Amino acid sequence: MQFSYRDQRDILVEKDHAADFAMVVAESVKEKYHEIASFTLEVSLPTLITENESVILSHMKKKYASEVWFQEKFSFEHIISVKDALKLSITPSLETLLGVKSSVSDFRIRLTYEHVDAPSAENRTGKNHCNKRIKSGNGFVKCTNETVQSGDVSDFNFQLQKVGQPCHMTLTFSTAPVYIGGRYLKLSRNVSQTRWIIDDERKGDASVEELIGENILPTCNGDGYKFHAAGREDIDVRMLGSGRPFLIEIQNARHLPSEASIKEMEKLINSLESNLIRVKHLKIWGSQGWSLMREGEAEKQKQYAALVWISRSIKDDDLEAVSSLKDLKVLQRTPIRVLHRRSPLDREKIIHWMKIEKIAGSSQYFLLHLCTQAGTYIKEFVHGDLGRTHPSIGSILGCRAECEDGYPQRISLNCLAFVIKLPVTSIVSFLFISVFSFSDFEWILHSIFKFFSGSYNYQTTLLLCFSDMNVGLYVQVAAAVDGLGKGLAATVGGFRSVNTGILEGGVGLG
Amino acid sequence: MTTQTAADDHESQPPIVVDDEELHKLLLPNVNDLPISPPSAMESNFVTYFAPDFMKPELDQYIYRHANGLCVIGLAAGHVAFKDEGGVTAVDFNVGKSNRSEIKVTGKRKRNAQQFEPNTALCKVCTNNAFYIVRCCVKGSLLEVNERLIKQPELLNSSADREGYIAIIMPKPADWQKIKDSFITFDEYKKLRHF
Repeated sequence: MQFSYRDQRDILVEKDHAADFAMVVAESVKEKYHEIASFTLEVSLPTLITENESVILSHMKKKYASEVWFQEKFSFEHIISVKDALKLSITPSLETLLGVKSSVSDFRIRLTYEHVDAPSAENRTGKNHCNKRIKSGNGFVKCTNETVQSGDVSDFNFQLQKVGQPCHMTLTFSTAPVYIGGRYLKLSRNVSQTRWIIDDERKGDASVEELIGENILPTCNGDGYKFHAAGREDIDVRMLGSGRPFLIEIQNARHLPSEASIKEMEKLINSLESNLIRVKHLKIWGSQGWSLMREGEAEKQKQYAALVWISRSIKDDDLEAVSSLKDLKVLQRTPIRVLHRRSPLDREKIIHWMKIEKIAGSSQYFLLHLCTQAGTYIKEFVHGDLGRTHPSIGSILGCRAECEDGYPQRISLNCLAFVIKLPVTSIVSFLFISVFSFSDFEWILHSIFKFFSGSYNYQTTLLLCFSDMNVGLYVQVAAAVDGLGKGLAATVGGFRSVNTGILEGGVGLG
Repeated sequence: MTTQTAADDHESQPPIVVDDEELHKLLLPNVNDLPISPPSAMESNFVTYFAPDFMKPELDQYIYRHANGLCVIGLAAGHVAFKDEGGVTAVDFNVGKSNRSEIKVTGKRKRNAQQFEPNTALCKVCTNNAFYIVRCCVKGSLLEVNERLIKQPELLNSSADREGYIAIIMPKPADWQKIKDSFITFDEYKKLRHF
């Protein structure tokens, strides 16, 4: 067999041996892909060749059908197509050269042959499209157009097309995507979930998609990434608590990161100076990645806190009126702000419970805590969206209500507290630190103990409350030493935290 | 000083669930930063235009246009219907050719939405004395009408600028550009009607 083709630079390449041809292919693979476990070879031939094949076969069948030697040697089991012949001839060499087996694999080597000069099938037959080519097990190729109904080919007005030039061959590779996922938290009120650019201008400071994707893609040496998340939140809404499940799909990843590498990525993202997001539980997922997404959906009840303003003063009756509503059914018409891109529908949603928390110093603002069915538009539930969400906080309280920017904030609270008792003399100051992970928390604890094991004779009660995203560390420091609180803050202050505040004066934690 | 580490404590004492008031304070805003009367969702997200004397004297209508292009159409405060004694008594979306409250627009592509011209009739607003035609004001697809007005026409008397809106129309960007300069701002409207 002769292996000649025109490559991507249109240069004629001729190989006399299957092995030589396989070498060219293997070299190309090794150049770009260093870690393949197996491969699948795919060949795509121009219709011209397959047609020629069938013409020859039918011609021979016609001419020699009665000959014994024909019947023996050319029975269906013995005929293989050009495509199969090509594959069979180079596959063993490829296996040797690449050191892996050919099998059903995610890594595909595709040889696409095209003949530049070949007239299309339609022109040659002058009849309808030969648009379905069924490869039957015997290697015959049948056209499903009217002229070939019965397989009788004597009506063909094909001529064998003499091919004067070798085909143009393109060598391409593809791999199955790699999925890396976990949960993300959004700390900023100005970060969109996905890249959001309108008229060349970016909306928000950044996007969760890019903050995660750009820090994963280089390690995997892929062509690109897609971001999938189980649900979404507005650009001005924080995502706190246990975080939202997400998957990054890396396309054509040439390097599969190790577990250590993944941990590095997580660390990297969590220590970005911009401090806009966090990721947790980052790992590589197989097809079970999609169950991670289902997990997110399964969290059917969502808890929120919204800052609400009403057009009159809040009364105690209002608190009762709101708390007494359990599993309230709300009918929400598609909010006007998304109506341009979503179906106009009436969606019935359930508000499982609500609680008003008054804000000291304000009679018209309050925090509304609510737990709702997944998919509820909270802002619209507060202001009513011109009556298109009913009931709404406004209609329940009989006044106008507005939801403040930056709210609602989604939270889910897993609160645990540890009380650590150290000997106390008298209470001097409080220290409140928010941290973001257990390892940070341990570091702080360690620093505090180290600090306290100095020469001070004091007692400290450490009250630690933490949710998945926050550790509130209350250090009641008892000491007669001035500035102890500040000293302590300085010790842990170099540490990455959201809120480091010192409340002097001592407030007892009951 | 006897110290127990967190780990020890965890084993000897079960974790205590603490009232999460303190954590909630993370959610609390600084009260001093809060405006006495914040802008409403409408004010923040929509630009308000007025079409005074639309096709006939004293037929004032408003257009709230959202950043996404959608326009909410309604009766402006100076509309003559509000001057009739008893105000609006009924709203009828049956305007001869079709009943506007019966169209069903479906899907993201807003299929079945009818394309209307600015002078196309949306509904009839009735008072004790007369009835007035409310029109689209903008050229575009009619996405929905406020059919609550059929059972509760008094919404127009109490809150024509909010729950009493008439309809939502989606104009094409080009059509909006052509027509927007024919409308006036709230300040101009106030001056015009001496509010």
